[in-house]
Amino acid sequence: MENSALTVRFAAADEAAACNDLHNRLYQEERTIEQWRWEFVSTIFQHPQIPFSVVDDGGTIVGTQAFIPIRMINRDGVFWTAKSEETLLDPAYRGKRLLGQMYDCLFEYAAEHGLRYVWGFTPADKALRRVGFDIPTRTSQLIIPFYCRDLPVLLQRAGINKPAGVRDRIRLAGFKIGCVAARLASAARFARAERVTRRVSTSHALRLQVLEQPPEQSDALCRRFVSQWGGTTIFRDADYLRWRIFENPYVRPIMCAAYDGEELLGWAIYSMGDDGAGYLVDVLVVTEPNRPYTPEDVVRRLLVQAVRSIRNMGAIAIRGWHVNDHPFAELVMRVARSVGFHHVRRGQSVVVRAADPQATSMSQNFAEWYVTRIFMEGTVG
Amino acid sequence: MNPDVAYVWRQILNHVSLFFTAEARAHLEGDTVRFLSWDEAQRSTGSHLVIPIDIPASVDPESPYTVPFNGTELTLWNRLPRPSTPNWEPIPCETRPLWYRHRTGTLLPAWNLYGTLFGLLTFQEELRSSQRDGHGRFLASYSPRYRRGLLEVPAFNEAVAALVDACTALDTDAEPQLRLGPALRPPAIVLSHDCDVLYGNDLWTQGVRAYRVFQPLARARAPRLGQLWWMGRNAVTPRRYYFDNLTGMVDLERSFGYRSTFYALNGTGGRFGARNGTRGLDELAAMVPDGWDLGMHYNYDTFLNRDRFQAQLDQLKHFTSKDMVSGRAHYLRFDPERSLPFLESCGIEVDESAGYSDGLGYRCGIGGCFEAYDTTARTPRAIVEVPMVIMDTTLVIQYAEVAIATVRRMLTHLQHVGGALSVIFHPGVFHNPEFPEMLGIYHRILVECRRVGARALTARDLVNALQRN
Ligand SMILES: CC(C)(COP(=O)(O)OP(=O)(O)OC[C@H]1O[C@@H](n2cnc3c(N)ncnc32)[C@H](O)[C@@H]1OP(=O)(O)O)[C@@H](O)C(=O)NCCC(=O)NCCS
Ligand SMILES: [Zn+2]
Repeated sequence: MENSALTVRFAAADEAAACNDLHNRLYQEERTIEQWRWEFVSTIFQHPQIPFSVVDDGGTIVGTQAFIPIRMINRDGVFWTAKSEETLLDPAYRGKRLLGQMYDCLFEYAAEHGLRYVWGFTPADKALRRVGFDIPTRTSQLIIPFYCRDLPVLLQRAGINKPAGVRDRIRLAGFKIGCVAARLASAARFARAERVTRRVSTSHALRLQVLEQPPEQSDALCRRFVSQWGGTTIFRDADYLRWRIFENPYVRPIMCAAYDGEELLGWAIYSMGDDGAGYLVDVLVVTEPNRPYTPEDVVRRLLVQAVRSIRNMGAIAIRGWHVNDHPFAELVMRVARSVGFHHVRRGQSVVVRAADPQATSMSQNFAEWYVTRIFMEGTVG
Repeated sequence: MNPDVAYVWRQILNHVSLFFTAEARAHLEGDTVRFLSWDEAQRSTGSHLVIPIDIPASVDPESPYTVPFNGTELTLWNRLPRPSTPNWEPIPCETRPLWYRHRTGTLLPAWNLYGTLFGLLTFQEELRSSQRDGHGRFLASYSPRYRRGLLEVPAFNEAVAALVDACTALDTDAEPQLRLGPALRPPAIVLSHDCDVLYGNDLWTQGVRAYRVFQPLARARAPRLGQLWWMGRNAVTPRRYYFDNLTGMVDLERSFGYRSTFYALNGTGGRFGARNGTRGLDELAAMVPDGWDLGMHYNYDTFLNRDRFQAQLDQLKHFTSKDMVSGRAHYLRFDPERSLPFLESCGIEVDESAGYSDGLGYRCGIGGCFEAYDTTARTPRAIVEVPMVIMDTTLVIQYAEVAIATVRRMLTHLQHVGGALSVIFHPGVFHNPEFPEMLGIYHRILVECRRVGARALTARDLVNALQRN
């Protein structure tokens, strides 16, 4: 194989199928062109050239790397960033530093188009460190198991679902016992939380509503969120929510909003993945002082609703993310525990890099982000 | 036109409107298609599709065969001979013909299209059989198609798909391509839920569980003590896995962009009756979101009984404050001759009862809907039937580990010929650890529907779409 035949370039508009094929071939999936377009051809960041680079070997696409432009917000305002996605090289082409070349085009693009940071989640730490990403932390999980019998399926990647020897069997048994214990503890705490919410919700005007379309107030809510809680997070305005949630071609997550009268206080977004597990996609709440309820009350009410709905949909578990110690993330974690979630330190590496090569380390900056599963691709919601 | 023929043609056009594009319908609407006697048909020439109407169709399918078509296979029976006049060639081949094509372009179906479809839409198989089960039902296993493995063939849909292709070809002076291309719209899925039990702690449900505890003793086996667990659990939390499942199903359907119909059961109590009485009806009505439909699950004892039917209907309207124009019979009690006229006279506009209780199948050979036929007045009735094709536990009992593969096969077939698949799922088995074999089945069915790009329509949506025509 001659390296000279390889070109690294941007994907052309009519190459959707070829780019998608590489993914489907290497992951043995059936992702549709429609799903590919939804993910990579942004309707919000409108630019004739999408930030999608490929390795072309004499007309065949053998490598892909995409940036998905996403707006974020902090106290200084709204700005563009990009999510790194579709990091993929045909095995025959690995180890040639091609990934670095694909990123080079993209970072140039990012600098040109004002995409301030690039971030993502990956198991391929080493390859991404090599192209200049920081790995400030790892994601961790908030979990409530509903069915212990089926849970090992979810841990397939942990490799203990098909016991090979005595040790594996012991691990699996231990895991199942732990799971039953966790389930019982969750059930007890959830029952208590349900009682608490019933008390709180009858005492004031808090109202939950499942939405059929994104709330126009979400833009203002995000602004109030960062001004109250600080940090940086995805700017979830109506356009973003329409794309990420309501027009999601995989699973359309359920968006349950909390209102005080007509005022939007926040939401929980949750879904049932094709894998049979439920996912807590997002929680965002802002309350004004001097209200008869605290943000904890609203978050609890939303989480109870999310758990109940996911359980009634027949999920084997509900899983959410806890990523760092943003004050609101800490609040959600506290309330989540009281509703029955367990915190499990198992997850992926967070990678982040500033588009400007002169910028200093991003680790400090990332500690202030508020991250939920809405930062993910959305294939399970 | 002969009224019987006009009726079948009207159902064909309705079906085309629902599952094909407007252009496809336009190809059928001209005077391309002609219904003629066998003699006239044989003597036809020119760009027409001629369908013989005077050949009696046996309800016992004669020598079925398949023809490749649009990425799937059409299954035909009641084959017609090649016309005795010269210049007719079979398409695609002599052994498995779909059409006979005259040198001048005329197309003649190679099977008894009209007779077969008329027989299926008017329940001829059942009218000519006196076999009924203990509940008075005609079972899948009584059907002559069952013995030949043809119950999963949507014969009506397949015939219409072939017609659309043929008429398109005639309009462009070409041979049938045996392909549909963009004329076909994505298949539809008609989801519904019979709300037989909303609380798991009623006397009948608990009684049946208690019986199951001791039943094995009669055969000198150990009692099934596990049943005590379900009894205790539902005594404490009666809504779990019953009423709670209703909201679970709505949320799940919502995540696919789908909708469904809930059929509410009330009226006389008893083992075969409304086990929860009127309990929960108001809450059920309040739970059904906009876009979903609420209909009537006709109680067991309302079968062809006007007074009881009316009493149930009045009670249901009282508790739910909704009009009730769609329905399905509890236990699928359905009489092929009297049920539809009876229901029509009771104000029901669309019924989903014509499905089998013991197996999968297109009871009327159609995946979609059709107007009932008044065989005396020889006119279409105002009531529309949406035959139920797949029932939850029946699917799993019949197909066990290949249940989902079967659903996929049927959906994929409809994706290639057009039509709708009506699926019923009871809340009590949607997600209930008491029935572990059913866990996750509904979810996986919805995943399959999404895979073929199916859209969800309720029975009522289908009727509304027909009325707009
Ligand atoms: C990630 C990927 C594009 C890297 O391409 P590459 O040309 O091999 O990159 P480099 O040569 O710069 O670095 C490869 C190093 O990363 C490691 N690595 C690559 N993929 C990895 C993965 N999925 N998990 C852990 N480590 C990984 C390799 O082991 C190698 O380490 P080594 O140098 O010690 O042997 C390629 O390996 C790939 O397509 N992997 C599968 C897809 C994937 O996991 N994508 C990340 C999800 S977003
Ligand atoms: Zn019933």
